Amino acid sequence: MEIQGYNMPEDLYYEENHFWLRPEGDLVVMGMDDFAQKMAGDIVYVQLPDEGKRLKKGKRFAKIESGKWLGKVYAPFDGELVEVNEELETNPGLINEDCYGRGWMYKLRPDDMKDLEGLIHGKEAIEEWLLKDIEKYAKEG
Amino acid sequence: MEKGYEFEKRFREQILKCSRCGFCQAVCPVYKATLRPALNARGKMLILKEVMDGKIDLSEELIESLFQCTICASCYLNCPSGVEVPEIIKAARRDMAKKGILHPAFLGMEKALRDSGNIYMDDEPDIEGGRRVDKAKYVYFVGCVGLYRETEATDTTLELLDRLGVDYTLIDEVCCGGVLEDVGLDMIEDLSKRNMENIFKSGADTVITGCPYCFRTFNEREQYGPLRDRGIRIIHISQFLKDITFDVKTDKIVTYHDPCDLGRHCGIYEEPREIIRKIAPRFTEMEHHHQDALCCGAGGGVRGAFPKNSIEMARRRLKEAEEIGAEVVLTDCNSCLHNLSNAKLRRQKFRIYTTPQLLVELMDQK
Repeated sequence: MEIQGYNMPEDLYYEENHFWLRPEGDLVVMGMDDFAQKMAGDIVYVQLPDEGKRLKKGKRFAKIESGKWLGKVYAPFDGELVEVNEELETNPGLINEDCYGRGWMYKLRPDDMKDLEGLIHGKEAIEEWLLKDIEKYAKEG
Repeated sequence: MEKGYEFEKRFREQILKCSRCGFCQAVCPVYKATLRPALNARGKMLILKEVMDGKIDLSEELIESLFQCTICASCYLNCPSGVEVPEIIKAARRDMAKKGILHPAFLGMEKALRDSGNIYMDDEPDIEGGRRVDKAKYVYFVGCVGLYRETEATDTTLELLDRLGVDYTLIDEVCCGGVLEDVGLDMIEDLSKRNMENIFKSGADTVITGCPYCFRTFNEREQYGPLRDRGIRIIHISQFLKDITFDVKTDKIVTYHDPCDLGRHCGIYEEPREIIRKIAPRFTEMEHHHQDALCCGAGGGVRGAFPKNSIEMARRRLKEAEEIGAEVVLTDCNSCLHNLSNAKLRRQKFRIYTTPQLLVELMDQK
């Protein structure tokens, strides 16, 4: 689904800082959404913590940087970091090129898959949330 | 063709002194990362000679060469003719900026600094600790990278000062402003005034900073003359810590990365090593060190304007750490720390941090 020029697949789950989540068996794949990657510009660094790291909902577990912007990646639920996209180590620009595909960032194992239900999901919810953020960031300039 | 560029007025003889020997190419971090002769000091001097000869003009096309220099001064220190490349580059950038020719990364930078007071345009510093009192013997000046990027390093340094019982205070600091001159812009008087007023208000006789760039700006730039006129000393954290006895030791292989701003630009090589040697008997130098140390690639605006090449330079530096089997890479510059940490590959298992961070870690292990 395209919303004001941003590609936001409606089958994905989103957390409020503009990272998408997609269930894959008992894991959840995580990446940056199109709105965030366009706002950030060229991504130059993605922190790839060691696998096995425990995640606590709402706690920062990684950082991501473009030229002058520092983003914090917060855990969307309690769980464990299972895998990272090692290609991003030498080619973080994949996030800009293909944020929902080759630019995926992390694979997480939630303690409880039901935690996904608290995230932004479904056409209407995504649209409402994104339009609000587009307006908010336009105001902030 | 525009005439009367300042860089030519100030440095014509210097530029003509370049004998094209190529000694600079052997030590230029940008050349090593890109293998492009137009990007080393000799290439830049040839370009500026063409400008002086009227064959080309300062234009957008020259941004890639003239803005891609970390101002590390390796070329200058290795130049048999003594060509002051960093100053020449800064002057040429200034001429370009006056014509409105700037790397896009620096467009609007003056306004952003005026509005936000820091190079990242962030709202609030992200540090947690630190002491704030009305009057103190020392001011600890953090610098933008330490306040907004390498905040763990800053928090730990402040923790160390607290544990040592140092009578210091943080101030409502803003960017020292030095970076503006590096990228061809004017320093902002309002920023330097605000910093100086806050320092004066604290009654401190010494400013300690963990940022080698702020250290240089305070000690060298005309705008901060009133600090020096009042006899206020500006010292780097390594100078402050070197005479303190720390009863801690590590058996790890520790190495040290010389920040360009502290080493080549200020000649401070031994103070950090004095501290490290006392706590790390297995201290080992990388292949290039002291005056020959490789640049981390962050300076001169290169990290902001050419991040990919900047990271590549840092990777070359870390390869040297890997080659000596380092377990800990120390550097006493938040900007170097930031770039090196960003460049570290996952397979590289050494830790990268500042000397105060290692000191606190060892104290905690005791």
